[in-house]
Amino acid sequence: MYRRAGRGRIVLLVFLALSIVVITLDFRQTTDVLDRAKDVSNAIVTPIQRGIATVFRPVGNFFSSLSELSNLRGDNAAMRNRIEEMQAEITQAESLLDENSRLRGFLELDESYATMDRLTAAVIARPPSNYKWAVEIDKGSSDGIAEDMAVIDPKGLVGKIIRVQRNTSTVLLLIDPTGGARARIEGEEWTGAVRGNGSDQALSLEFVDTEADVSLGDHVVTSAYNRGIFPPNIPIGRVSNVGGQQADTEQDIDIEPWVDFTSLDFVQVILDTGKTPK
Amino acid sequence: MSTKEVRSPGFLGDLGISRAVAIATVIVLALALQSTLLVKLTLLGVIPELVLVVVVSLGYLDGERVGTASGFFGGLMLDLLLPQSIIGLTALVYTLVGYGVGTMRQFTQGESVWTPVLAVALASAVAQVSYALLAIILGQPWVSIAFTMKVIGLVVLYNTLLTPFVFPLVRRVADRFRPERVYRW
Repeated sequence: MYRRAGRGRIVLLVFLALSIVVITLDFRQTTDVLDRAKDVSNAIVTPIQRGIATVFRPVGNFFSSLSELSNLRGDNAAMRNRIEEMQAEITQAESLLDENSRLRGFLELDESYATMDRLTAAVIARPPSNYKWAVEIDKGSSDGIAEDMAVIDPKGLVGKIIRVQRNTSTVLLLIDPTGGARARIEGEEWTGAVRGNGSDQALSLEFVDTEADVSLGDHVVTSAYNRGIFPPNIPIGRVSNVGGQQADTEQDIDIEPWVDFTSLDFVQVILDTGKTPK
Repeated sequence: MSTKEVRSPGFLGDLGISRAVAIATVIVLALALQSTLLVKLTLLGVIPELVLVVVVSLGYLDGERVGTASGFFGGLMLDLLLPQSIIGLTALVYTLVGYGVGTMRQFTQGESVWTPVLAVALASAVAQVSYALLAIILGQPWVSIAFTMKVIGLVVLYNTLLTPFVFPLVRRVADRFRPERVYRW
């Protein structure tokens, strides 16, 4: 018999029970089984993803190059100029770097994130969900990437590494509600925590003392103080709204991030954790 | 994951190996498309739930058992691809939706082009709302209600728009591998 109500209900109960078992396993953090399941499902889907991505990439490129064709000549000349300028800047920067490291040695300062070893990685995928803000990058443990490393782009903090495989890793973006960072206003002492609110939404800066003097436009950077996992002083964004003393002891502060999270193509992973001096 | 091959055929109706493999392939393909092409083809920043559209189509075409099973496996694989989310939650929601659609279809009259579209619209709304509610209840850090409402509305719209393209494809596969062709609804 194809349709018997009883059978259908049994099937439903079995799979409901299975779902609840899986959720329970996840909550109990007995992640051994689930980690293996994750690897298996990744192994099944990743090759197909790669295939689809290769098939569709040229299509996208074709259309965008058609529309850009007319601007190419002008762009080219401008780029050449810029390259020459940059080459001059690089020479200057190198001598400054040299001087910086010598002075740093004298003063026994911690290394700044700007001179730490980093690795550029391409963004290859996003999670297929509307409530997860993360990206998959094309570098993994074989390139020296480990969990909790900071990920930046030229504008500022992007997020942190939360999962590493051999040749890929997952970056949890700063705008994800489960993401976040220890942060402070540039030039101030106290620290707070930055928390994400999804795409197109401002970040929240929480746990900031009411005594602290915060004003619009202040620059917010990472802080290594109080279990902050990121190297200090990575730019995050600027204060876009100060909501007065909403709660008794905390201020309600919005931050507009520097990084444009909707168009991440390349990111840089800081290979130093900031904890162990090189 | 050797998902469907291990189960005895009787449990899910006439689920032979080739049919199970065909259905599993459709789900995995939908999942791969959703995580590659569709994350780029967003509608105002929102990606559609292709996997759900496929699950609803399967439930609608092949009844509640196939709907339930494909909902569970589609949802679970989706969960396993997401970082830092509650694993099993999408599986739970899709299982219920697959069952619901499979059970409801006996009440639909005749074969209208619009019934599957309507089914997807309804199912998407139910799935979206229950996922968000359950995630919040289970203590997952969540975005604002206003943002969630916007996402839910757009996903329902996008899923519904995809149905006229996805449903016929799923129907082809389902018809091809259905062991007996008597039950066309």
